[in-house]
Amino acid sequence: MAESVVVGEDVWKVYGKGDTEVDALRGLSVEIRRGEMVAVMGPSGCGKTTFLNCFSGLDSVSRGRVLVGGVDVHAMPDAQRSEFRAKQTGFVFQAYNLLPVLSAVENVEMPLLIAGARSKDARRRASEMLGELGLGDRLDHRPSELSGGQQQRVSLARALVARPAIVWADEPTGNLDDEGSRQVTSLLRTLNHDFGQTMVVVTHDSEVAGACDRILKMRDGRFHP
Amino acid sequence: MADPTVFTALLILAIVGVASLAFAARHRLPFRIAMRNVRRGRGRTVLLILGLLVGTTIISGSLIVGSTVQALDVHYTYLGGGYVHESVSALAPSGGYAPYPYSVYSSLAEAAAGRSDIAGITPMILSTTQVYDRTTGIPETNLNLLASNANQSANLGPFVSTTGSVVPGPVGEVVYVDVQTAVALNASVGDQVVVYGPHPIDATIGAIVQDDTRGGALTAGLSPGNVFVDLPTGQSLENLSGQINFIAVTNVGSQAGGIALTTQVSAFLNTTLATIPSAAGLSVQEPLKDSVAAAELAGSSIQTIFLVLGLFSIVAGAMLIVGIFVMLAEERKGEMGMLRAVGMRRGELVFVYYFEGLVYAVGSALAGTVLGVLVGYLLTYTFSLLFASGALTSGAILQSFTVTPDDLLISYVAGFLLTLVTVAAASARVSRLNIVEAIRDLPSPPPPVRLYTVLGYLGAVLAVLGLLLLVPNAQGTSDISIPILGGGFVILGLGLVASRFVRNRIAFSAIGVALLIWAGAEPVHRLVLGTAHTGGIFIVFVEGIFMVGGALLLYVFNSATILGALLRLAGRGSRGAPVARVGLSYPARRPARTAINLTIFALVTFTMVAIACFGATIQANLNNTIQTETGGYSFFGFSTQPIPDLPGDVANNSTLAALFTVAVPLISGSVEVNVSGSTPNPYTDNIFAAPVNQSPDSSFYATSQFPFTATWDGLSSSQVLADLETNRSVAIVDQNYAPSTSSVSGGSGAPHPTLQVGDFLRLNPPGSSAEIPVRVIGIMSQSVITGVWVNPAAAASLGYTGVSAYLLTVRPGVSTTLAAQDAKRAFFPEGLVLFEIAQILESSIASTEGIIGLLEIFVGLGLGVGIAAMGILALRAVVERRREIGMLRSMGFTERKVLTAFVLEYSFITLLGLGIGTTLGIWIVYDLSISPSAAASGVSFFAVPVENIALILLAAYGLAMLAIAVPSVRASHIPPADAVRSTE
Repeated sequence: MAESVVVGEDVWKVYGKGDTEVDALRGLSVEIRRGEMVAVMGPSGCGKTTFLNCFSGLDSVSRGRVLVGGVDVHAMPDAQRSEFRAKQTGFVFQAYNLLPVLSAVENVEMPLLIAGARSKDARRRASEMLGELGLGDRLDHRPSELSGGQQQRVSLARALVARPAIVWADEPTGNLDDEGSRQVTSLLRTLNHDFGQTMVVVTHDSEVAGACDRILKMRDGRFHP
Repeated sequence: MADPTVFTALLILAIVGVASLAFAARHRLPFRIAMRNVRRGRGRTVLLILGLLVGTTIISGSLIVGSTVQALDVHYTYLGGGYVHESVSALAPSGGYAPYPYSVYSSLAEAAAGRSDIAGITPMILSTTQVYDRTTGIPETNLNLLASNANQSANLGPFVSTTGSVVPGPVGEVVYVDVQTAVALNASVGDQVVVYGPHPIDATIGAIVQDDTRGGALTAGLSPGNVFVDLPTGQSLENLSGQINFIAVTNVGSQAGGIALTTQVSAFLNTTLATIPSAAGLSVQEPLKDSVAAAELAGSSIQTIFLVLGLFSIVAGAMLIVGIFVMLAEERKGEMGMLRAVGMRRGELVFVYYFEGLVYAVGSALAGTVLGVLVGYLLTYTFSLLFASGALTSGAILQSFTVTPDDLLISYVAGFLLTLVTVAAASARVSRLNIVEAIRDLPSPPPPVRLYTVLGYLGAVLAVLGLLLLVPNAQGTSDISIPILGGGFVILGLGLVASRFVRNRIAFSAIGVALLIWAGAEPVHRLVLGTAHTGGIFIVFVEGIFMVGGALLLYVFNSATILGALLRLAGRGSRGAPVARVGLSYPARRPARTAINLTIFALVTFTMVAIACFGATIQANLNNTIQTETGGYSFFGFSTQPIPDLPGDVANNSTLAALFTVAVPLISGSVEVNVSGSTPNPYTDNIFAAPVNQSPDSSFYATSQFPFTATWDGLSSSQVLADLETNRSVAIVDQNYAPSTSSVSGGSGAPHPTLQVGDFLRLNPPGSSAEIPVRVIGIMSQSVITGVWVNPAAAASLGYTGVSAYLLTVRPGVSTTLAAQDAKRAFFPEGLVLFEIAQILESSIASTEGIIGLLEIFVGLGLGVGIAAMGILALRAVVERRREIGMLRSMGFTERKVLTAFVLEYSFITLLGLGIGTTLGIWIVYDLSISPSAAASGVSFFAVPVENIALILLAAYGLAMLAIAVPSVRASHIPPADAVRSTE
């Protein structure tokens, strides 16, 4: 059995105080193993994105622990957690979140540069990654010159290029049409298969969820079987 | 309304007000939305008004400074002009006023009896004198002697003693002195004095009167001081029995009010004088009217200098307004898209912004006008600290601080219109949007070819307009800014036409390079426009705008290349590479938006650096002037009584012989200079002639080291002097006769005729028919000793033979102060007055430093625009890039890296703007310093005040970083989980 990459223990996230207090996560415990591709589904407002933010280390937790690769991400100071994110995680968002002033290859090499790679190496690896995702002829295009599907593929390449321990994807097909959505889903599955990349995908899309190894269903801040 | 400018301002205000009300009534929904927009973000409204008010502040500040300088000048004009609205006199060939019979006064007074416009006519003797106070043992030369009878001169005002009481007036051997004279003599009432003239008199000081007694009584309230005697005493002292040399006419009304009657009173005086045979040669002067007009002209010139240099800040302010509205439009893009989607027409969307802008314009123009008053006061206060000396006290300067209703109204209307027009143009631009792109926040597609076709047509029109300005003015003597403006338009126009057919980068880069060369390369001006053009302060604005515009076009259309080079450099240190990439990519790959801030910073820095360089260059040249243009002499002097053999007297006086190495006598007098085709013509000036056959130490021709800025027919300086010594048909003149001496300084002095070497002058003593023609063979670079220098034989033919002016040089190591005291003591009876030439130049340098400092402070206000722009841009960036910041944080950017990227980005913009402004500021001053008009003004040095510029740059950079500090820290503290999802 593969080792656990992410372990969450009784994780709570509470927003607001007093009358406005909302429990977004209510004692979540979960284990995600290396090479696994997990979908998180649930109705709007059930806490899917909060789960992703808290477990990936983007947001703090109110109670509980999140261990990624055996390290408690919330016990680290901000600078160390930033370094942890640079080396251990990748992100894919619904809105792609590419830097509009950088070209495709510059966007993709950014995580490598942040992690301290040499400029030349970063450029080579980013170009290769984009080539593998079918964007070898779009290296110098800016995001505004790419279609939605192409932008999401650049976003995927950026998430994967540093070979992170885990990739977190938040509604990766939310902005795409059917064809784009199918392409991205297939790509996620292929990358998971070919590279053994651990992935957690928050999605409403049953087609995306269907491609995953496991589906975690959320309601009111809790996982339900 | 009498003043057409004020009337126009009010009319414009009324038209805009009525039109806006009509628009509001017709477009109620846009009006309601606009008012809601104003109310919904009060903090932002205040910020917008602060950003928008700068232009108005500059206008208001300029006008108030001008009015204050004008008020100060006029104040001293009245103080010095007394109650003499008109005068009747004739200039004596040897200087001073020529005497004429007392009967002229009697005839005039008889004819004027019963006139309702003349308050009084006073017969006087005006002269210069020297006084020795026997009680204190102190002598004083260079004093004014004013002789009039108390019963005839009541209209010149009362004599007011230092205790504030009115005293009756001097009679017989009782004289009055003013405070300045009393201080110089250390005198008290009752002191025994000797008053010198052809027939010196012993007298007693009967009263010490205030400096401004009798309205300053013709002495400007400044040095030299006054000595008052009655008319018979004056006649006896000057040996002018039965004669006077001046009639003062006082009009009905106040000093200022009486000026309105000057024209009709002058006409009466001229008519009457023509009927009096003994009045031949006398002329009527209008001293108060002329002096006030000159003072107002000086104030207006200062106003122009401040306004023109303020134009850069005003343009920067307009750019800020555009930037603010573009920012508002981007912020409200989705909202605007929705309004259009639900049926609002584009025109109505323009009105939404127009009405909103109207509110901001009303508020910001008001706030800017008020702030301008404060700025004006601060500048006046600084002026009072820098320039207060003698009678020009700090208090008097501050009292002259003037805010006229006209200034306030014109500032308000100009500021209001500047804001409104810019807002209207920006509104029209931002309302042109694609509804779907606006709602979905999609990037705009590249502009259609049709746009370039329109630009091409506009370019053609601009090119034709440019040709119309350039071709007729290319050669000639017009203001050089006109053909340069035309040439710039031609370049812009042709470039816009080219943009229709070739790639933007090529077309606009070519425009940039061409503008830089056209506006900034002096050799091109010489080649295309010749060297005969004149220049004024406006050239700085025209060349400056073209140069800054050219540099910015080059940056905007080549920013990617510049970024590539910078990133290659930054990429070598891999740890800094991601921060450098993020920080530099925004300004380099969104150059159009960056251009607004760059323009603002570049314009403001350009102005400040240019002014600093102007100051340094002028100072360097004045310093050089001190070194070389004293002509090798220490003193220029004159005496009230001739000293026939000054060199001999010096040689025979052991004290003086030990002090002076050179003593040159000069024949001097007044002369009317006729310069054909130049104004004013004739022009009354000094005439000098150096006697020949003097010993080497006393010969002007042997000792003069005055350099020449131009000589005729390639003559050397020594050849010019040799020709002057022997040829009675040649002359040399001082620098004031050189063409275009106003150059870029704005030249605020009284009009002066100009000429070229080789020109002929006709010279005649005032009121005399004796006349000689002389050819000008040299224009000296000095302008301290003003006048025309001729051969002594030529001077004699005009009746000038008496020596009354002198040039003296002290031995090395001798104190000029002590030497002057000894010389004045030795020649006290003759009333020797000495001026230290270097000291005059040094005081000119101090004034220049003060003016330059004031201008730097004034244009430094523009930095406020740059700082506001930087803060607004950074605030907007934090909102706009929230998601991108979140993504960077999720990829591992620490808070510090986000902060560093922001600081790097704004440092890049600031430093680039400062770099462009500094380079071009230095460049334009260098360019102007090698221009023909600069050469004609004797400018031969160019200087860069490195420390001053470093201070300016440091302050500008520091303030810009302060402005972005809060937004940058805010950006770095955005929680990444919130940022990656949010859109605004």
